[in-house]
Amino acid sequence: MDFALKFLSILFVAALASIAGCDGSAPVEEPNEMVLHHVLYTKIAGLDPANISDIYSRIVASQIFETLYDYHFLKRPYELVPLLAKGMPQISEDRLVYTIIIKKGVYFQSDACFPGGKARELKAQDFVYSFKRIANIKTLSPSWACLDERILGLDEFRQYTKSCAGAEDVDYSRRVEGLQTPDDHTLVIKLTKPWPQFIYSALADTAFAPVAEEAVAYYGQDIISHPVGTGPFRLNVWRRGSYVELVRNPTFRVEPYPCEGESGDAEAGYLDDAGKPIPFADRVVWTVIEEYQPAWLLFLGGKVDAGVIPKDSFDEVVTAGGELTSAMKDRNIHLKTFSDPSTYWLGFNMADDILGKNKPLRRAISCAIDRERFIELFFNNRHLVAHGVIPPMMSSYNPEIEEKGHARYDPQKAEELLAEAVKVRGGKLPVLKIAMPGAGTWFRQYGQFLKRSLNAVGLEVEVQYMDRPTFQEKLRAGSVEMFASGASAAIPDAQEFLSLFYGKYRAGGPNAFNYSNPEFDRLYEKAQVLPDGPERRELYQEMELIVLEDCPAAFLNHRVAYVLRHDWYKNYKPHAFAFGLSKYRRIDLAKRAAYRELVKKIE
Amino acid sequence: MTTYIIRRLLYCVPIVFGVLLLTFVLFVVIGGDISIEIAGKGASQETIDEIREEYGLNEPLFLGWDSQFINHFKNALTFDFGRARDRELVIDKIKRGVGPSLALTVPMFFAVVVIAVSLSLVIAFVHGSMWDIFAVVVCIAGMSVPFLSFILFGQYFLAYKWGLFPIFFSSDLTMAQNVALPVLIGVAAGLGGNVRFYRTVMLDEMGRDYVRTAFAKGLSARRVLFKHVLKNALIPIITRMAMAIPFLFLGSLLLERFFGIPGLGYLMVEAIGARDYSVISAMTYISAIFFVVFNLITDICYSLVDPRVSLE
Repeated sequence: MDFALKFLSILFVAALASIAGCDGSAPVEEPNEMVLHHVLYTKIAGLDPANISDIYSRIVASQIFETLYDYHFLKRPYELVPLLAKGMPQISEDRLVYTIIIKKGVYFQSDACFPGGKARELKAQDFVYSFKRIANIKTLSPSWACLDERILGLDEFRQYTKSCAGAEDVDYSRRVEGLQTPDDHTLVIKLTKPWPQFIYSALADTAFAPVAEEAVAYYGQDIISHPVGTGPFRLNVWRRGSYVELVRNPTFRVEPYPCEGESGDAEAGYLDDAGKPIPFADRVVWTVIEEYQPAWLLFLGGKVDAGVIPKDSFDEVVTAGGELTSAMKDRNIHLKTFSDPSTYWLGFNMADDILGKNKPLRRAISCAIDRERFIELFFNNRHLVAHGVIPPMMSSYNPEIEEKGHARYDPQKAEELLAEAVKVRGGKLPVLKIAMPGAGTWFRQYGQFLKRSLNAVGLEVEVQYMDRPTFQEKLRAGSVEMFASGASAAIPDAQEFLSLFYGKYRAGGPNAFNYSNPEFDRLYEKAQVLPDGPERRELYQEMELIVLEDCPAAFLNHRVAYVLRHDWYKNYKPHAFAFGLSKYRRIDLAKRAAYRELVKKIE
Repeated sequence: MTTYIIRRLLYCVPIVFGVLLLTFVLFVVIGGDISIEIAGKGASQETIDEIREEYGLNEPLFLGWDSQFINHFKNALTFDFGRARDRELVIDKIKRGVGPSLALTVPMFFAVVVIAVSLSLVIAFVHGSMWDIFAVVVCIAGMSVPFLSFILFGQYFLAYKWGLFPIFFSSDLTMAQNVALPVLIGVAAGLGGNVRFYRTVMLDEMGRDYVRTAFAKGLSARRVLFKHVLKNALIPIITRMAMAIPFLFLGSLLLERFFGIPGLGYLMVEAIGARDYSVISAMTYISAIFFVVFNLITDICYSLVDPRVSLE
């Protein structure tokens, strides 16, 4: 008995000690402090621009780091404006040389990595260093794929880095022909061939934001958790996997809130703060919440400013007519929807003996899928049917694409095409396999839906569920027959979608369909160097029709985002491509304080 | 006893070696090359090759002093688990998560044991009565309800509707406030199975002669139950407790995920999903050591609790 008591006492003390030793307290919110409360639906991997590959890390890093150009916050269609650059780049006639003047008076945040811990002014050399750092093979930057064979002399620099023992042995003073700085505030970039997406893909992407060489040298591999940028906020607390807190950067220059937007912005209140200095918030807080219920309850409880609607609560929030329910309106919650630049599909491996050589079979599969039912079941009717690969929000979207009927659900035609497919095959069709990039409930339901759809027209299908790494490996190895996948564009240019079908990107590249069509490739290469305009848009549409005719995928849906915000959360205009938006957000503190009383009254 | 302890500690060597070999075979030999995934979409072969070099994946698997297995073994012995896929030191991840995980699992475990043992004693005392039947039905009902339902219900009503607890982990609150509801839910969900188990243990003891004699001597029920029955039932209790203790280190996946407790519960699952071999290896290795050590402690406890048990 004594021993039992002693044993339990030890456990009790251990329990108390473990609780007492884990006080996770952070600065308590002052009554007049403006704090933005956000949710991250997954953990962020790191805050080193050169090594950012996930969207959530990009969201946080974009508040700390800035790029030469950024999207105008309010204008639509999406438009780039100078951020760290003084103006838009001067582009040579052959579209190979970009001369960019850097703004004066831009400072990196104060940090221990600088002499005396004082902020240092941003120079053109910082951009050169950042480009070279991405090129350095020891950095293992996922962004290199974007620069590969693009900038004069940068590939040679990358070759040189291979001979260095470690990242710290690389001599960054080595000259690269395509990256020059005539003075501290002028950057000259020479391309190997015209690259119309250059400003979007590199100069406005956080991955290419300037990083101070001193910071990389000072923090070494820990640079992922010590971001030193020029942006409006700086990192204050990062509890990996659970919490990120940024505070206002005191060395941030004076930047005004935009004074113009698109029609309707003034009425929506988006121009109420026109000309006022940004940022408005003192702190920005992200809580990592990977389950929808707590995120939703925190939003309803007024603990976070904006949120997405959980699938299971959709009917509670939005009526059949797409309006907010009265329960939400009573809480002064607002709904905002916007088109997302994404397309999802059931892909076919064109290198596969069964599918690749049997177009009627591929078309039969496409005809057998009821996309509207799919969207109703899985997305509460929120998404749009994908009639092609280019999403409707892109300027190159073909408004007549629906009439081509490539996404039409037609089980009878599917059966006819299957009969044809059997003839092409020269015998009975074997059991086809679909690879799913997950094994969770959602993927299992999705897999079952596809299986039932294909079974209904007489096709035998086996769905294989696997973790994402295995899925990616199989795609790369070309060892799948069909696969459920999708893509989201990072820039307002459909080239990203079309590149997925470019013949040279087969065999382990982005072209997981292993699709190849010489005519498509010819048009792609032609469009690749053309600036945005009617000619390029026509080429894109022509290429899309070639893809649809060859049917290397059954395109299913385009995502439409539904976001909710509380009444106190101001200047919340969603943006499909920009991430550094916290500087524009403002909180009406009085309204936030009154919310608790409002909820009490309602409930 | 010293010889016994030394011998048992020596047994740990092949066990730990076996664990290391198993994790290596499962995640490196069978799991395959992770460099393609690390490189990301559209990465060139040279980037993939560089990653293979950085992570030592171009070294031979078993043969040679620089083989991947020997390095894996050396790193484990020196507790140098290297960096995770997100380039954070694995040991830092574990150090950061172990506190919150224990803050959740230790009180939960402690409360479940104390409440379940006490309740089972009382239930065993009233064996065969309506109270006993009622308790068994409640226990079975508790065991039948999925753990997730306890969480969803507790979070919605106790935290959101009635505001008795925070909905989610908040840095503005103390750890005790943050873990109060998850602990309560964990205890409620864990009681059914534990009470049923301990009730069976107690009933075994209640039927023995010494209990009848104690009651016949006129000892109070409290004294018989807590002084005699509990002491004699300690061996199965200790076995169950000692086997559960190593798992406390691993945290509680669902509770941590739903309440945002930054513990180790999710770390292992996430690492398996992402094939973060460094994290998996470290967590498995540490768990194996805990398991072996607590097995030894259990055996020592037997001899302390029951003088008839001698360790030779």
